[in-house]
Amino acid sequence: MSTVTSPSTVHHEHAAAHAPHQASFLSTYVFSKDHKVIGLQFLFSTLVWFLIGGLLALAVRWQVAWPWSDVPVLGKLFAQEGGQMAPEFYTMLFTMHATVMIFLVIIPILAGAFGNFLIPLMIGADDMAFPTLNMLSYWFMWPAFIAFGASFFVEGGAASSGWTSYPTLSTNIASSPGSGWGQTLWLLGLTMVGVSSMLGSVNYMTTIILMRAPGMTMFRLPMTIWAMFITAILQAFALPVLTAAGFMQLADRTLGTGFFSPEGNIVNNWMQSTGGGQPLLWQHLFWFYSHPAVYIMILPAMGMVSDILTTFARKPLFGYRPMVYSVAGIAGLGFIVWGHHMFMSGMNPALGVTFMVSTMMIALPSAVKTFNWLGTVWGGRIQFTTAMLFALSFVSMFIIGGLSGIFMAATPVDIFIHDTYFIVAHFHYVLFAGTAMGVWAGIYYWFPKMFGRTMNEFWGKVHFFLTFLFMNGTFFTMHILGAVGFPRRLADAYHYETFHHLQPLNAFMTWCAIGMVASQAIFAVNFFWSMFFGPIAGRNPWNANTLEWTAPSPPGHGNFDFQPVVHRGPYEYSVPGVEKDHLMQTDPPNAAAAALAAAH
Amino acid sequence: MSRLSGILWSLLFLAVPVLGVATFAVAPAYDIWLPKDVSEHGKAIDGLFYFILALTGVVFIATEVLLFWFLWKYDAARNKNAATYIHGSHTLEVVWTIIPAATLLFLAIYQMNTWADVKMRRPAMSPSVEVVGRQFEWRLRYPGRDGTLGTADDLFLVNDLHVPADEDFLVQLKSMDVLHSFFLPNLRIKQDAVPGMKIPVWFKATETGQFDIVCAELCGWGHYKMKGRVTVESRADFDRWLESQYAKQEATQPEPDPSTAVARAE
Amino acid sequence: MKTITQRPFAGLFAVTFGLASLVGCGKTPPAYFRPNMVEATKQRLSAEQEKQVSTILLAMFGTPDEPVCLPETGLDEAKLRLAAGPVRSDVVGRKNGLYREHCAHCHGITGDALGPTAAFLNPYPRDYRPGVFKFKSTERADKPTHADLVKLLHNGVPGTSMPSFALLPAAQVEALVEYVKYLSMRGETELALMRAYFELDDDAQGKLPESREFLVDETLTPIAEKWKAAADARIQVPPMPADIDLVASIAKGKELFYGDKANCVKCHGVTGLGDGQANDYDDWNKAIVEIGKELASGSAKARETSTAGMSPEELAEHRAQLAWLEKFGKVLDGDALHPRTIPPRNLRMGVYRGGRRPLDLYYRIHAGINGAPMPAAKGTIPPEDIWHIVNYVRSLPYEFDGELGADRPMLVRDRF
Repeated sequence: MSTVTSPSTVHHEHAAAHAPHQASFLSTYVFSKDHKVIGLQFLFSTLVWFLIGGLLALAVRWQVAWPWSDVPVLGKLFAQEGGQMAPEFYTMLFTMHATVMIFLVIIPILAGAFGNFLIPLMIGADDMAFPTLNMLSYWFMWPAFIAFGASFFVEGGAASSGWTSYPTLSTNIASSPGSGWGQTLWLLGLTMVGVSSMLGSVNYMTTIILMRAPGMTMFRLPMTIWAMFITAILQAFALPVLTAAGFMQLADRTLGTGFFSPEGNIVNNWMQSTGGGQPLLWQHLFWFYSHPAVYIMILPAMGMVSDILTTFARKPLFGYRPMVYSVAGIAGLGFIVWGHHMFMSGMNPALGVTFMVSTMMIALPSAVKTFNWLGTVWGGRIQFTTAMLFALSFVSMFIIGGLSGIFMAATPVDIFIHDTYFIVAHFHYVLFAGTAMGVWAGIYYWFPKMFGRTMNEFWGKVHFFLTFLFMNGTFFTMHILGAVGFPRRLADAYHYETFHHLQPLNAFMTWCAIGMVASQAIFAVNFFWSMFFGPIAGRNPWNANTLEWTAPSPPGHGNFDFQPVVHRGPYEYSVPGVEKDHLMQTDPPNAAAAALAAAH
Repeated sequence: MSRLSGILWSLLFLAVPVLGVATFAVAPAYDIWLPKDVSEHGKAIDGLFYFILALTGVVFIATEVLLFWFLWKYDAARNKNAATYIHGSHTLEVVWTIIPAATLLFLAIYQMNTWADVKMRRPAMSPSVEVVGRQFEWRLRYPGRDGTLGTADDLFLVNDLHVPADEDFLVQLKSMDVLHSFFLPNLRIKQDAVPGMKIPVWFKATETGQFDIVCAELCGWGHYKMKGRVTVESRADFDRWLESQYAKQEATQPEPDPSTAVARAE
Repeated sequence: MKTITQRPFAGLFAVTFGLASLVGCGKTPPAYFRPNMVEATKQRLSAEQEKQVSTILLAMFGTPDEPVCLPETGLDEAKLRLAAGPVRSDVVGRKNGLYREHCAHCHGITGDALGPTAAFLNPYPRDYRPGVFKFKSTERADKPTHADLVKLLHNGVPGTSMPSFALLPAAQVEALVEYVKYLSMRGETELALMRAYFELDDDAQGKLPESREFLVDETLTPIAEKWKAAADARIQVPPMPADIDLVASIAKGKELFYGDKANCVKCHGVTGLGDGQANDYDDWNKAIVEIGKELASGSAKARETSTAGMSPEELAEHRAQLAWLEKFGKVLDGDALHPRTIPPRNLRMGVYRGGRRPLDLYYRIHAGINGAPMPAAKGTIPPEDIWHIVNYVRSLPYEFDGELGADRPMLVRDRF
């Protein structure tokens, strides 16, 4: 049969490397060019940063619940003040919590960990199109790790103008202690993350377009791959704007340019010598990237959830093509809604009207996807595995996150809820209750493929239950807090008598947050234990139908025993007339032959 | 065990709409809800909030209950039927694309008028006060007797904004240093103060009382300290207050026995 | 086929994670007053002497959580307890820990302007320990009255990071004012005690007498008396004539402003922008600058001194001197703010730190500003002339087209 591509020609260098298997430790485990190794490097690094970001969040929650009290662990740093946190430290905490979670956790775990690991396996390729570039995309994260990590220890402390880094707070060094070295390191770290992502996105797009197995047409790709593909396009088009903006801000801070500083700007009794710029320019540039970024942060999870739901409902995906078009629609519309972050910013109010319309419309493809997920679950044979539970909770929680977005899209209502906890609730629901649940679903689901063993299902369900419970306890009532008008980013909200009666609720939410972070210990133990001592998994422990499950667990060099050839689409579960309840994508076209293959 | 576990997991997902609705229903009883609204346009904004709440509430309950129902009914441990092999339904896709699209578009258009009222249709009057955000206070400047800002008879105050009731009130909002945001929760007003820009903010307060001014844009370590107070009072009281403040500002003699006056104020 | 796993890395991460979670258990020690290390080092106090001072202060003034005040201070202990202590985190609408909630992170728990935020502020927050306050209604060398401090908390200090606390309930403002006075008296007592070592004769063996007579009657009471006397030291302000011709007064004021007697332009500049001079310091910063100079010259001298031909005693003294210089250098790095010059006020901005009433400007000109280079006009310039200068200064922001200088930043330049 004819081949669509010839992997061996693209990978002649790789094939040559096959022969002598005496690769050094460094080139096998550290500077590996194998997409699976790189994917796992991303996974481990991001999980460590997930813990750090979570601890930063706990410190934030502590201060919100019990301002000026003796902070555990960090209190030693503030011994002279009796353990009381300094208010500028609080601004650094929430800035770095968001920065770490967005740039060092969510984006790299979705694209770098899952994208890297799964893309070649699910499209039937033996590696990425550019393995060296792939390796570089991981190692470019390390300067970012060091920059963000070190920023707490430099003079003035870490960046403290929010992850949004609005001028002139971020550009004027005198405006906040963290706006000195901390902010510079932040910008440098951000640039590194941007380069890493751009290298990755180029690789993913090329690989998906050029290296699919024979028979793997675009509309036979699993949703995970469609999502990764469209996410890669988003990254390629949006990131350059952020990188440029980052350089402009660096220039303002170090070279004396005035892109974002108006004339005569006096902060803390120091005047900036240049001017002629506009703070709003940064906001436009920043959000032009950061709005697509939020879709970068959810589309891959949506793709993975689609795959997991179908596997454990034993049903094809409901509305595959509408789902693909929806993902594309979200991405496309995602480029024309950035102004909804700026309704109160002082930009021309007429833009409030146009962005309201586009933002309302972007709810549509998300709604279509949600209905299709419900359609997938309907009429299925549902198996409540840990991965399935996390995937189901993604759907359930994404409904909340998506619906709460409608309040903010409504510009008059946004007048009240902008910069309150309503916004915090919304993005934590989509990012944490949504994407992070999707990430855990993906970990439980693809762990056997990555490590050759399954994770413990009982402890996985305990982990799910506790996380689900504590997460809702922490974030759901934030919607109500937002309705009160409780503002974000306040080191001490009880400075206002009107918010005094909210302290018990905040204390409850902090206890839930502590419970939630503590519950992750169960996941961590399960993860590492299972890696060494879990039950050995076969090639296809879940009886799933996509290509990665035809490879060994874990796959070796070249991924597949023999070149896969694709004959059918993804999600061929419970096909009538077939005894087995699933057909692999590689199963030959006629049913009898399929039964024969199933008998192996 | 697996029969029971399916039931329990389904019920966990049912808890989402149940507890979700319960939280919203119970919160107002604990005074954890929208603050009192004392502005003219606030009614429209609150109305929109409730409208969206009702709409999203219905969708929320419907979708979450459906999810629960499907998990309950199609649990493999209790339902021995094979899964339905179906790739989708063109009709359904059309229906559930058109209806949400129309609803969302309607919602967007329905709100444009309120937005224009609050942010675009500025009353033709000179500013009643200039509010300048500064790390970490609200510096106010009333135009004084001559009605013009920027002359020697201006009244300078900090954090203590007074507004006459039932009159259009126009604020000229500026920032001296970094971004701040002028947030009056009880008046449903919010506008970022941008250095280098002069932004008009207008409203009409309909009830007297004392309410908060909150800074709603991160402006540094003292962001939480930028508390101000807005006092809405009758025009007569407002004029009296303005005069007394002005007299204090122009004082050429110390106040008589001020320490006792402060103690009396307790 | 070779399987590739990340087990070695996994193990490493597991270990790191496990170790990291063990970090940092244990209770934080209670807040403590920081001793005035600059003064202690300047006076060449030994470790025992520093300890003695701390012990005495503990007995006389207590701790940040448990303040003590002797009746001689004239302070209200109930108000101090309201302001002192940790901010109670379980009761909202809390009434204790006011100082730590509102003031400590700039002014420091000890009132020494070494709070975590202080170094980033421009100008620095007030260090209460010398007992010098700038903006008051009393004569230059006197303490502020209680009402002055209340007014300061109400107004804040415009043009600085000191905010207005007008929205705090009056009782809380009273408590904070009382606590500021407490910290100031404590700081002044500490300085007096540290300086007293120099006066000791040899019988004392380097120890201060711990008698009530010395500690209270001779040290604390004079300090407290100055505070109590403040109310009587208020500047007598003759009224500005009600029928004053403002235009003529402003013209006369301008004459005086540029004239030799008042010579305002020497510092405030012929432009009024505060660009007359740029290299003076307020007292707090000047003290550090002086110490810095002394250290620099001392170090230079010590380096030049040859140790050859020194007797053992001389060598020991030389080494002690070197050790002291090094210690002082470290103290300046850790326990003092980096000195900054104080620019003369830009009068075109319309920002007046001590208050914008004509009365406030009268006070500033009459008494100058205690602790700052602004001299007192008292005795040199008759009261009615001070009023003329006040009227001229108030007109300065509007001298160009009647628009406040702050609205025309390029005119205002970078001096505040």
